[in-house]
Amino acid sequence: MSLTRTVHPDDKFKAGKLGSTMVKAGLGLAVIMMVVSLVLGSMHNDGFKRFLYAYVVGWSFIVSISIGMLWLVLLHHLTRSRWSTVVRRIAEAIAGAFTVVFIGGLGFALPVLFGNKSLYYWATDDAHNAALNPTLAHKLGWLSPGAWFVRYCIYGAIYIGISWYFAKKSREQDESGDPKISDTLRRVSGPAMILFALTTCLMSMDVLMSLAPKWYSTIYGVDFWGSACVGGFATLGLIVLWVQRNGRLTHSITEEHYHDIGKWMFTFTFFWAYTAFSQFMLQWYGNMPEETVWYKYRMFGDWQWVSIAILVGYWAFPFIFLMSRWTKRIVPSLVFFSVWQLVFHWLDMYWNAMPSYDWTKATHGGATLVEGPLMNQIALHHVGFTPLDITVWLALVGVLLVGIGRNLTGNLIPIKDPTLGLSLAHEQL
Amino acid sequence: MATETPPPDKATEPRPDSENQTGDASGKHGTAGELYGYLAEYDTPGELVEAARKVKDAGFTEFDAYSPFPVHGIDPAMGIKRTILPLLIFGGGFVGATSGILLQWYCNAYSWGWNISGKPTWSIPANIPIAYELTILLAVLTSFFGMWGLNKLPQVWHPLFRSDRFLRVTDDGFFIGIEAKDKRFDVDKTKALLGDAGAIDIEPVYYDPDPAKKAMPKWIMAFIVASTAFALIPFAIAAKARNSHSAEPHVHIFPDMDFQPKFKSDTANDLFADGRSNRGEIPGTVARGWLEEDTTFYLGLTAETGGQWIDGFPASYPDSPSLTPDLRGKPFVVDAKLLKRGQNRFNIYCTPCHGYDGRGQGMVPTRVKEQGGVWLARNLVDKAGPVVFLPNGQLFNTITNGFPPTMMGYGAQIPAADRWAIVAYVRALERSQIASNEDQAGQR
Repeated sequence: MSLTRTVHPDDKFKAGKLGSTMVKAGLGLAVIMMVVSLVLGSMHNDGFKRFLYAYVVGWSFIVSISIGMLWLVLLHHLTRSRWSTVVRRIAEAIAGAFTVVFIGGLGFALPVLFGNKSLYYWATDDAHNAALNPTLAHKLGWLSPGAWFVRYCIYGAIYIGISWYFAKKSREQDESGDPKISDTLRRVSGPAMILFALTTCLMSMDVLMSLAPKWYSTIYGVDFWGSACVGGFATLGLIVLWVQRNGRLTHSITEEHYHDIGKWMFTFTFFWAYTAFSQFMLQWYGNMPEETVWYKYRMFGDWQWVSIAILVGYWAFPFIFLMSRWTKRIVPSLVFFSVWQLVFHWLDMYWNAMPSYDWTKATHGGATLVEGPLMNQIALHHVGFTPLDITVWLALVGVLLVGIGRNLTGNLIPIKDPTLGLSLAHEQL
Repeated sequence: MATETPPPDKATEPRPDSENQTGDASGKHGTAGELYGYLAEYDTPGELVEAARKVKDAGFTEFDAYSPFPVHGIDPAMGIKRTILPLLIFGGGFVGATSGILLQWYCNAYSWGWNISGKPTWSIPANIPIAYELTILLAVLTSFFGMWGLNKLPQVWHPLFRSDRFLRVTDDGFFIGIEAKDKRFDVDKTKALLGDAGAIDIEPVYYDPDPAKKAMPKWIMAFIVASTAFALIPFAIAAKARNSHSAEPHVHIFPDMDFQPKFKSDTANDLFADGRSNRGEIPGTVARGWLEEDTTFYLGLTAETGGQWIDGFPASYPDSPSLTPDLRGKPFVVDAKLLKRGQNRFNIYCTPCHGYDGRGQGMVPTRVKEQGGVWLARNLVDKAGPVVFLPNGQLFNTITNGFPPTMMGYGAQIPAADRWAIVAYVRALERSQIASNEDQAGQR
């Protein structure tokens, strides 16, 4: 054994047509599923409200995967990681999907900007009714379509900027082999990580949390980030496997690297559960009406079964099994848990957003008004699962694949990175 | 240890080293006791791993590799089975989680249930943090002590410590030691094997001829026995105290903290004629600024002797330390701030009976009525009176001294400035409930 290793002579590390294959597949999936979704959405006869809700869920799913992988890229430089050098280029590709993802997100962001009031309650006129919503008034400057859309663009610009910069510098090193580029990226990664954290926190609040605009939670952004990293590492494992099945990097990425991807997935499975429980327990114990209402709709009635499914499926089952070493080192087992966690990651996004879907009519002072989400009897709130939820999700997964595929070009590993040798020889103790 | 106490005859018979070594195990080692085995040094971790693989492939089982840091790949090279430590840690964590839950169930729900605001004594979410902490604690303790135990650590009396070269194992030395008790051990062949594997130095290692030094050094044993015995002393004292009676006073570990040179309030004291440590106010005296001579502000009366209830508000706050600094000596202004303060105090002290709207239907009358009783609270905003007709001074006096039999005085709870704020707020409340046409006109 040795501490470093050079790239195996038989290893194919050029992407070739791999990226364009993925772009074509993603584009096909996105177009077909989006057409199906638009048809299904129009059949709901609700002004595309259900469609938009499903869109937010699906978009949160794909953006969170890019967020998770951008975090890995930043962490890699911040801590001078060694194991992740061989998968970093693929992580950069997933993080680089932000451009396409944020263009794809215009599917719900533009309707919000142009006056669609069926997605976010704070965009409605009734939200401004002080008699109906005395606790919402002070938030309506921040939560207004114009300000919201501007922030959407800012978040997109920050994510795209950070991921573009790190990918560009990494490719420059492929050409020049200049080790100083690693130093530069390490220095930049610190401030970038802070910016990343603030952006992720605020974006999750704007996109997901403001679906229930009267609710409070300060840990929401952290919770979203934890869930995002589960999805990110699960996707990384699957795409690395797909790249290897297509004959690339077959010698460079070994079970040792899969093991580390699995460890991160395990870590965030637990971290997500930790933050989700922290959020729940403080609100449950504090027992303040403006906080508990959010959980009231998830703990009782139809939604309690979804909550239990998430508790068992997203945490308990993978937590127990991913604890073992072999479940992360045997690739089929890791693939099973990656797919499993991606499904439950989507369900987690669904669980965050969908209970806010049911709004009700109310009379107040003789006038008929729309009351916001979480404002009626639990018995009237149903999970209301529809095929539309799945088709929109798949369409947006197609969008994500287009975004990732665009970046799978050139070298699939940073061939002149100073830590590449260490990473190739990486072994678990 | 061996290095601290060199063999007595080391000076006359040098220990074998790589130059003069003969490979004769019966040989020339000055302190030759029984042969422990061979110690071979390697230059790099990589060579160590290769050598370990060769030794394993030669069929040896009683050997070990030593390095200053964990070496990747050494475990499979040596043919070591994976450790069972993870399983033990899982067990520790599992015991922690279940014992955490059981502990809380036993304490809170079974043995000593407390009714706190009607909350259930047993509720899983509230118990998760403790169970979580105990899971971590027991898992970590199992991990720590399990690692030491499985590695048979600490070993401060190992024969290899008698080799001077071996001291570098904590710095930059990489060693393989093969024990003589291995079935395949052969003095010459084993040495040749180690040499073929690229050793830069090979030496035989012997047990200390002193049989006492094959085991744990006595001073360590003495230390363990003594510290264990010492640690048991507090338990022994506690056990004795629980099973015996004593007429002796408490043991005071910090006597100057327990017995401070001061008198605590409400205790007996024979220094003073009345036998109390409390020194009350001296009759006929008032602390500076607390005389409350401003009859308008403190009593609601006009200034002259035999004064009348005032109709408006005091002209100014007295310059007294009993008031907050922002009010002392300032003019009394009826503004939104004062009304907000009045509303805040009113909602705390007055609403239980008088209700938020002042109509005398707060929670106390409502609930007494539900129980079948009667509890009358005055309607403060009744157009027919009497409250609306009371002068401000008399309303202030009622808040201060109460309105028997049901309303007790609030002078002790609410400072005078706040009582005036409540008066102002009650006036505003009345105005809001029985507004005149002019008031409403003013609204438009």
